[in-house]
Amino acid sequence: MNVQPDLGFIKSLKESGGDTLKKCFQCATCSVMCPLAKEGKPFPRKEMIWAQWGLKEKLVTDPDVFLCHQCGDCTANCPRGAKPGDVLGAIRAFAYTFYGWPAPLAKLASSAKGLPVLIGIPVLVIFIMWALSGAMHFPTKEEFASHGYQQFFGTWDFYWYAKNIFFIVLIMVPALGIGLFSGFKGISTMWKTMCDNAGLNKEYRPSIVQFVQNFLWPSLVEIVKHSRFRECKTNIDRVRGHLPLMLAFIGLFIVTCWSLLKNDVLGLIWPSLHGPLPMTDPFKLLANVSAIALLFGIGVLWANRKKAESELNTQPTFYDWFLIWEITAVGVTGLAAELLRWAGMPILGYIVYFLHLVSVMMLFLYLPYTKFAHLLYRTTAYAFEKYRQSEYGKVN
Amino acid sequence: MDKKYCAYICAGCGIGDALDMEALAGIVTGEMSMECKTHACLCGADGRALIEKDIAGGVNTVVVGACSPRVMGREFDFGKDRITVRANLREQVVWAQEKPEEGKEPHSEAAAFLQEAASDYMRMACTRAKKTLPPEPYKLEEINKTILVMGGGLAGLTAAKEAADAGYNVIVAEKENAIGGKALGWRKSFPTKAPWTDLEENPVKSLIASVEANPKIAIKTATEVARISGAPGNFGITFKAAGTRTEWDAPSKVTVDQQDMIEKGTMEDPNKGLKKYTEQNADAIKVGSVVLATGWKPADVSQYEHLGYGKIKNVVTNAEFERLAKDGKVPANVAFVQSPGGKDHDKDFPYCNSVTSMVALKQAQYVCQDNTDGKAYILYQHMRTPGHMELFYKSAQNNDGIFLTKGNVMKVEESGNGLTVAVENTLLGEDLSLNVDMVVLAAGMEPTTLSENSINLAYRQGPAFAELELFDGYADSHFICFPYETRRTGVYACGGVRKAETMEEAVDDATGAALKAIQCIESVDRGVAVHPRSGDATYPEFFFQRCTQCKRCTEECPFGALDDDEKGTPLPNPTRCRRCGTCMGACPERIIGFKDYNIDLIGSMIKAIEVPEDDEDRLRILALVCENDAYPAIDMAGMKRLGLNHMVRFIPVRCLGSVNMAWIRDALSAGMDGAILLGCAYGDDYQCHFVKGSEIANKRMENIGDTLSTLGLESERCATNQVAITDYDKIPQIINEFVEQIVEMGPNPFKGF
Repeated sequence: MNVQPDLGFIKSLKESGGDTLKKCFQCATCSVMCPLAKEGKPFPRKEMIWAQWGLKEKLVTDPDVFLCHQCGDCTANCPRGAKPGDVLGAIRAFAYTFYGWPAPLAKLASSAKGLPVLIGIPVLVIFIMWALSGAMHFPTKEEFASHGYQQFFGTWDFYWYAKNIFFIVLIMVPALGIGLFSGFKGISTMWKTMCDNAGLNKEYRPSIVQFVQNFLWPSLVEIVKHSRFRECKTNIDRVRGHLPLMLAFIGLFIVTCWSLLKNDVLGLIWPSLHGPLPMTDPFKLLANVSAIALLFGIGVLWANRKKAESELNTQPTFYDWFLIWEITAVGVTGLAAELLRWAGMPILGYIVYFLHLVSVMMLFLYLPYTKFAHLLYRTTAYAFEKYRQSEYGKVN
Repeated sequence: MDKKYCAYICAGCGIGDALDMEALAGIVTGEMSMECKTHACLCGADGRALIEKDIAGGVNTVVVGACSPRVMGREFDFGKDRITVRANLREQVVWAQEKPEEGKEPHSEAAAFLQEAASDYMRMACTRAKKTLPPEPYKLEEINKTILVMGGGLAGLTAAKEAADAGYNVIVAEKENAIGGKALGWRKSFPTKAPWTDLEENPVKSLIASVEANPKIAIKTATEVARISGAPGNFGITFKAAGTRTEWDAPSKVTVDQQDMIEKGTMEDPNKGLKKYTEQNADAIKVGSVVLATGWKPADVSQYEHLGYGKIKNVVTNAEFERLAKDGKVPANVAFVQSPGGKDHDKDFPYCNSVTSMVALKQAQYVCQDNTDGKAYILYQHMRTPGHMELFYKSAQNNDGIFLTKGNVMKVEESGNGLTVAVENTLLGEDLSLNVDMVVLAAGMEPTTLSENSINLAYRQGPAFAELELFDGYADSHFICFPYETRRTGVYACGGVRKAETMEEAVDDATGAALKAIQCIESVDRGVAVHPRSGDATYPEFFFQRCTQCKRCTEECPFGALDDDEKGTPLPNPTRCRRCGTCMGACPERIIGFKDYNIDLIGSMIKAIEVPEDDEDRLRILALVCENDAYPAIDMAGMKRLGLNHMVRFIPVRCLGSVNMAWIRDALSAGMDGAILLGCAYGDDYQCHFVKGSEIANKRMENIGDTLSTLGLESERCATNQVAITDYDKIPQIINEFVEQIVEMGPNPFKGF
């Protein structure tokens, strides 16, 4: 291997949470402590020296970097204070930016300097949409009580498609679309390089069904069960936060899907299905429970992060905090909007609802560049690990 | 001195319980005709008062039968004019009593055995007291207290400054045209203070200024030492212009056989045209002691062909790179190769110690300082950063542009404008190929003593230090027990000639050597030994009328203290002497001895041991033990109650080298059944305080084995054993196994003759 250390890469890792990476002296205590490192495939010892030597290409295509759950066992036991867990976090942050498309947006999402623009984009988009929709007024108390936020973007009399939903779809679907497209681009590049690096034979490849059945589905089951999270010792508390948070996202995903079906499909046939759900509706119940779980989960993770910063001396990074802020914003504005509706406060309600839309759009649009990208990359790494260890990986 | 004796036996520490004190006192008053008193606790205030009262009443030779002479030294010190002899009744008799095996009754005569041993130790102590004479220190007629420092590098200048600051006149001899040495070529030096992370200013410039300004220091540049004659306190130094040959150059050593050949004309005299070593130069400058700081030479690294030194441009040594860094800017991409072995071995370059690891860490920093995108690769097998230098290592490691990995450096090749370095088996998990502008090899520091005499003594045993191959050519200076001391008293080594070291270490080292040089001068002034028997006022005296010029003493003296005249009669130089007595052990005529330690004295002690006849339970075995390691080990075995056979009698000796075979013959002809010598390890990892003593004793014992055989005695009745001070737990096994062997052979057939 011809080695060309990338000094800029080292510098950027040091700035984004990996400031201790040069302290490692390769004793491999971390690899021994790591509950997730597989026998014969230890990490993060090798990742530490690759980082010290600025070997960017090796690290962004290293599945082990993404398999790390940053539980902190390695960091807590490192005799040199090199904090391997934090360094791997910094490498992941770098990788999301590295794979991010379009690159300027990815770069923007990588540091606090971009924050005004990051917030500005959705604010502007949604405000313009609000203006374009022509609905630019606050409802009366009566209107608010009967429609809630269903007429935020005004109302059409085409019974077959609600104007409000048209606008929301117009905003959110492209946002999520860009996010998912960019994310997919990233993980497919990563997958290909990982295959090349592992020397896997490209002649033998699973069908999509086989892939889902054998690699993706078992990975998802493992992820939902939090089995690897539970291996961690130093930071086991995080399961208490991450699990409700993840379940909340799944719950909200189901509610959103149902809402989409009800409003955009069934609503075309039975216009009466438009309008806020009653509290007794099981989906509304799920939505509310999920919202509370989300707030609880993110609260636990927030506290955990603070604790790590004070006790393990973890460096506070934009990468970690941006996602926590984003999710907190989504949860707080969502719940507040609902409470304000009950309280019958239309003006404040509309403002909060506006902010809710902004935060949701941010979550979608910046998904592949922020820490949120881990749901794509880590899942991919899980699947790749299973693929590599399967018969496909062994055929050469 | 008219001696008035009195013996005192202490009953404390279990001695009184185990022994019949009255009977013991009876031996002293009866057989030894010496007044004897007993006391419950001699080392206490009452006990001392008892002795001091007698001393006031005229007693001047005190025998104390109590604990080991290694303890309670101050309690039983009655001043310079009194002779005190100790009998070790506690550690080596009462506490050393054998315990019966588990479940067995003690030997029916166990108490009697113990009493007999105690009686023998009292007999020996009283005999010793009778034979001991007060020392008369050897004083030079004229003493010169100037210190000569050979070498004007960092170490030499530091030694000069420290000695001058302590009030001594110093002469610095430097063979180059200017002082400062190699340090002049170094850009920065290692950290010397907390936080131990930052490189510091090279101290040599300010040191040169302060040395040059010091009126007590005379500097002779472009000067070498032709020869050093004489002895500590009175060395005669002949200087010469550097690089020239003069008639006063120190002559090479010529052995007895070579001398014969020269005389017969079959060999050319290597010292033709040179003054004899005994000849005195009237113009020589007198000094008291010498600090040897002749430094080191960069090792040649062209032999490692795969690294390309000498063939490929831009492959340089660390010393060359440092000079480059001092004169200007270093290249941006540099690989530092720490070990030349490739795949074959992981040794660092020879003669590098920990210095080259730290130098690489220092020079890597130059690469990053001089270039914004500087990259320095350190390819090591070992990173040695002792002490606080660990912090220096950590700070260098934290530098973004410094890349470290263990690995086998396989090849350095030219490629395009630069160089490619191939490294295998790295921490990165794969083989590396590095493109760099320059490769720096961590060449070692060879001491000057590896390739030349350096010291140029006009001594009987030759101009150089003896047997330096044991120390890879470094000026021998036992770095744990006796740092700075060389095999030549009055010559103290520091700096690169002693070990590969950094400037900071050299400064410490030079300070230590300067102190040693001062200690030497002051000890000589008081007429006492410098080391390791610091303060010993005795010295070997020769009864020349009976000397047969056999030259054994002049050959065997480990420190070259004895010169000789044309006929071969030894010419003693007492200030070179370390008082080990190896000459005394060597002399077949038994004409060498000290006031308190001589052939007659130890011989009489041996004869004082009572040897019962025809009693297989009462064999007598003599153990002559080195007082430096073996004797304290035996004491410790006693303290731990490990149990030693009751038939053995221990006599401490200054060094096994001082054991004269006459004593062994005396013992066996007196009917003793065996003799064992316990001394220090010898050979490559010798531990002998006097370097050669135990080795010489071992040879002599081999020879005496042959003599015994001719007398019809088993040669196995004599043995030697190597014991370190930490081997106390092995002492019972060594002793008891030897006794068992003797018991099997049966009593000495000469008993009773």
